[in-house]
Amino acid sequence: MKKIIVGISGGLSFVVFIILLLIIRALGNSQAEQQMARRWSEDGGVAQVSCFFSVDADVDRDRIEDFEHSIDNALTEASVIQDSENPGARLWADAYSADGSVTVTRGNNTLEANAIGIGGDFFLFHPLRLISGSYFSGNDLMQDYCVIDEDAAWQLFGSSDVAGMIVYIGNIPHIVTGVVERPDGHLAKAAGLNSTLIYVSCQTLEELGQSNGINHYEIVMPDPVSHFAENFVRENLGSDPLKTEVIENSSRFSFPKRLRMITQFGVRSMNGKAIIYPYWENIARGYEDIIALITLFDMLFLLYALGVAIVLFVIWWRHKGWTVRGKMLILKDKLERLAEKQRQKRKKKEIEDPNFE
Amino acid sequence: MNENGKKKREWIKTAAIVFLAVMLVLTFFSNTFMNYSLPEVATQYVSPGTITAKIRGTGVVESGDPYEVKVTESRKVASVAVRAGDQVEKGDVILYLEDAESEELKAAQAVLDEKEDALQAAEDAFDRALLTEDYTAQDIQQADGSTPVVSYRQQLTDAQNKVAQAQQSLADRDKSVAKLDTKIEDVNAQIAYEEVRQEAAKNKLDSAAASYDEVSGGDAAAAAPAKEALEKAQKEYDEITSQIENLKLQKSSLELDRYNVQKSQASATKALEAAQKELDDLKAMLGNILNLDDFQKAISDAREDVAEAQKEVDKLSANSIGATVNADISGTVTAVNVVAGNMTSADTPVAVLQPEGKGYTMSFSVTNEQSRRLSVGDRADLVNAWRYDEVDVVLSGIKPDLTEPGQKKLLTFDITGNVTPGQTLNVSVGQKSADFDCIVPNSAIREDNNGKFILIVESRPSPLGNRYYASRVDVEVLASDDTQSAVSGALYGYEFVITTSTQPVEAGQLVRLAND
Repeated sequence: MKKIIVGISGGLSFVVFIILLLIIRALGNSQAEQQMARRWSEDGGVAQVSCFFSVDADVDRDRIEDFEHSIDNALTEASVIQDSENPGARLWADAYSADGSVTVTRGNNTLEANAIGIGGDFFLFHPLRLISGSYFSGNDLMQDYCVIDEDAAWQLFGSSDVAGMIVYIGNIPHIVTGVVERPDGHLAKAAGLNSTLIYVSCQTLEELGQSNGINHYEIVMPDPVSHFAENFVRENLGSDPLKTEVIENSSRFSFPKRLRMITQFGVRSMNGKAIIYPYWENIARGYEDIIALITLFDMLFLLYALGVAIVLFVIWWRHKGWTVRGKMLILKDKLERLAEKQRQKRKKKEIEDPNFE
Repeated sequence: MNENGKKKREWIKTAAIVFLAVMLVLTFFSNTFMNYSLPEVATQYVSPGTITAKIRGTGVVESGDPYEVKVTESRKVASVAVRAGDQVEKGDVILYLEDAESEELKAAQAVLDEKEDALQAAEDAFDRALLTEDYTAQDIQQADGSTPVVSYRQQLTDAQNKVAQAQQSLADRDKSVAKLDTKIEDVNAQIAYEEVRQEAAKNKLDSAAASYDEVSGGDAAAAAPAKEALEKAQKEYDEITSQIENLKLQKSSLELDRYNVQKSQASATKALEAAQKELDDLKAMLGNILNLDDFQKAISDAREDVAEAQKEVDKLSANSIGATVNADISGTVTAVNVVAGNMTSADTPVAVLQPEGKGYTMSFSVTNEQSRRLSVGDRADLVNAWRYDEVDVVLSGIKPDLTEPGQKKLLTFDITGNVTPGQTLNVSVGQKSADFDCIVPNSAIREDNNGKFILIVESRPSPLGNRYYASRVDVEVLASDDTQSAVSGALYGYEFVITTSTQPVEAGQLVRLAND
C-alpha cells in the first residue's frame, strides 16, 4: 500500500515537473524582445546579443557606425556568406537606443513624456503590439517620426486612430507613424514603464529633447560557433567591463544559464556598474529571477520523482521471481527450437520435391 | 461478485456518457474554439499607386541680399528717423548725427600730441645723456683716446653758454630797439603837437601882420600895439619853429641809433646762429664719440612718428562726414541697430535694408541621402499651408554644409510672398516618383535573415467552412515614403496582405480575419 502511495506521489511529482518545465518555456517565449534570434532564422545558427552602456561610457552614433562597419569584415573572415536569393537579404540587423524625455505639443495639448530615442531597426527587435499605424526605423530617409503609446494618443488626440497626424516636438513637426500598446503588469511597472512613453529617433531626442546618452545596442547576427557573436560584440563594443554589460539574449533562458542563475543567488542583486537598464532588460531580469526560482523547484520535483522511481525499481528488481540468467536460458531455448523447426521444414521440402529441378 | 460487477458497469456507463457528451460539445463548437485561439489579423489590398518621398525641414526666413548701411567713423547719434518695417526711398534720411569731431579724429590728434611729446623727450634724453655721469672717462677714451670727459663737458657747457649769451644779446638788442621805437614815437608825437602850435602861431602872426599892415601907414603910436603884437607873434612863431627843429634833430639822432642797433641785431642773430650751429656740431661729434646712436635713433624715430601722426590727422580731417546718414537704395528697413545717444561704430551696420524687389531666403541642412532625392527648382509645400497666403517656396541651391562637409548638404530656398524675416517655416519638398504596381503599408513589411517579406492571407475550403492561413512572399522594397512602400515580388496584385495582428503570426499558421 505504501508503495502505491509513494509511487503515485512520484508520478505526480514528475507531472508537476513537466508542467513547470512548460511554464518555464512559456515564460521565456513570452519575451518577444529576447526571441529575435528565433524570428530572424528558424533554422538557428544566429544569436541575439545586447550590450548596455553606463552613462559615462560616452557611446555616440559615430562609435556605433564604426562598429557596424567592422561586422561585415568579421563575418567574411569567419566565412559566413549570404545564401539567400532575395536581393535585399541581410546577414545581420542591429538597433540602439538612448533614453531621455521630450515635450510633445498638439494644438493646445502639451505632454512631457519619457522618451526612447531609437536608431537602427529598433522595432524589429521590439515588436510592440501596434494598435494603429506602423513602426519606423533608424534607417529610414527621414527621421522626424514618432511612435506613441495609447496614453499619449489619448492625451494628445483623444483617440488611438491617429497614424499620420502631426505633433510638434521642439517646434519641429513630427509625424506619428503608429500607436502601440504599452506592456502592462506588475513587472513592467516596476521595470520603469509606469508612465507615458514615446519613441522618437535618436537624432530628435538629442537635438530637441533631453538625452541621457546611448545606453543600449543590440544585434542579431550569424553565430557559426557558439558565443562567436557574443565574443565579437564584447571585444569591439563592450571591452570596458566597468562601463558595459554584454548579454546573449538567445540563450538567456537556457538550462545552463538558469543553473548559473541559481548558483549566483546571493550576488545577483549586487550592482557594481553605473548602468541603467532599459525597461525590457529590467523585465527580462525579473523573469530570469522568477524562472530561476521555478527551475530550482523543478529540479527538486524531478529529483524526488527520479528518487522514487529508482527506489521502486530497485525494490522490484530485488523481488522479481526470475533472474536474468533464467530468462536468457529460456530465450536461448526458444531460439534453438525455432532453428530446429526451420531445419526440419527445409528437409521436408527437399524430400517431397527431389525430382523438380 | 455481482454487486461489484454491477457497480463497475454503472460507473463505466456514466463515464462513457460523460465522455460522449463532452466530445459532442467539443465537436459542435470546435470551430468557435479554434477561432478564438487563432490570431486575428487586419488585412489590406496590395494595389498599384504612387510613392511620394518627401524631405521635410524647418528654417528661418532671412532677407535675401540684405543691404547694410554702415558709418565709417564713430559719431554720436542725435536721432533715428526710421523704424523696422518702414519703406524708404533712395536719399531718405535714416539717422541724424551730432556735429562733432569724430572719435577717430580726436584720437588721431591725441596721438599726434603724444608723438610730439615723445620727440621732445627723446631730444631731452639725448641732452641729458651727454651731460650725465653715466659716460665714464673709460667710454670716451676708448672712442677718442685723447680728450678726457671733463673737457668735453666743459666744451659743451661753453658752447651752450655762448648760445645763451648770443640769445641774451639778441634779446637786449630787441629791447633797445623797442625802447628807441617808443622814444621815436614820443618825439613824433611832440613834433606833431608843435606843428599844430606852429600852425596856430603862424595864423596868429599872419593876422598880426595883416592888422599891422592896416595901421602901419598911419599913426606910429596907434601902430605900436599892433607892432608889439606882431613882434610877439613873430617871437612865438620863431620859438616854436626852433623847438620843432630841435625835436627833429632829436628824432634823427634816435633813428640813427635805432639803425645802428638794428644792424648790430643782424650780426647778433648771425652770432646766435653760429653759436647754435657750433653747439649742434659739438653735440653731434660727442654723440658719435660717446655712441649715443640709440638716442639719436630714438630722436629720428620720434620725428618719423610725428610726421605719420600728422599725416593721419590730415587724412581724417579731409574725410570728416556730415550730419545725416541717408539710404543709398530704396527698399524696406528690416533692422535698426542704434538708438539716439549711441555711438556708431565702423564694424556694425546702423541699419539693414531689404532692397525693393528682392525676395527672401531660407536654408536648412539635410543628409546626403536625402539631398539625392531633390533637384534645384523643386517647389516646396508648407506644412499647414492654409496659414500662409500666397507664399511660394522654391529650392534654389544644394551646397555642401560647411559644418559637416562630408555628411550633410545645405538646401537654400527662394521665398516670395507674404513673409517677414525671422519667421520660422516648416516645409516639405520632394518629387513624385514613378507609379508602382504593388504598394503595401509599411506595417506589412517584415524581415528575417532571408530578406524582407510580406504575409498574405490565402483561403482553403474545408468541411467546416473557409480556413485562412498566412503564407510568406519574399519581396524587395523598391521605394518607400512615410506611410507605404512599393514592393516587387511574386505578387499578382490585389492579394490580402496582413498589416497587424493580435498575436505574432508565422508563415503557414492559421489565422482569422478581423470583422469589419
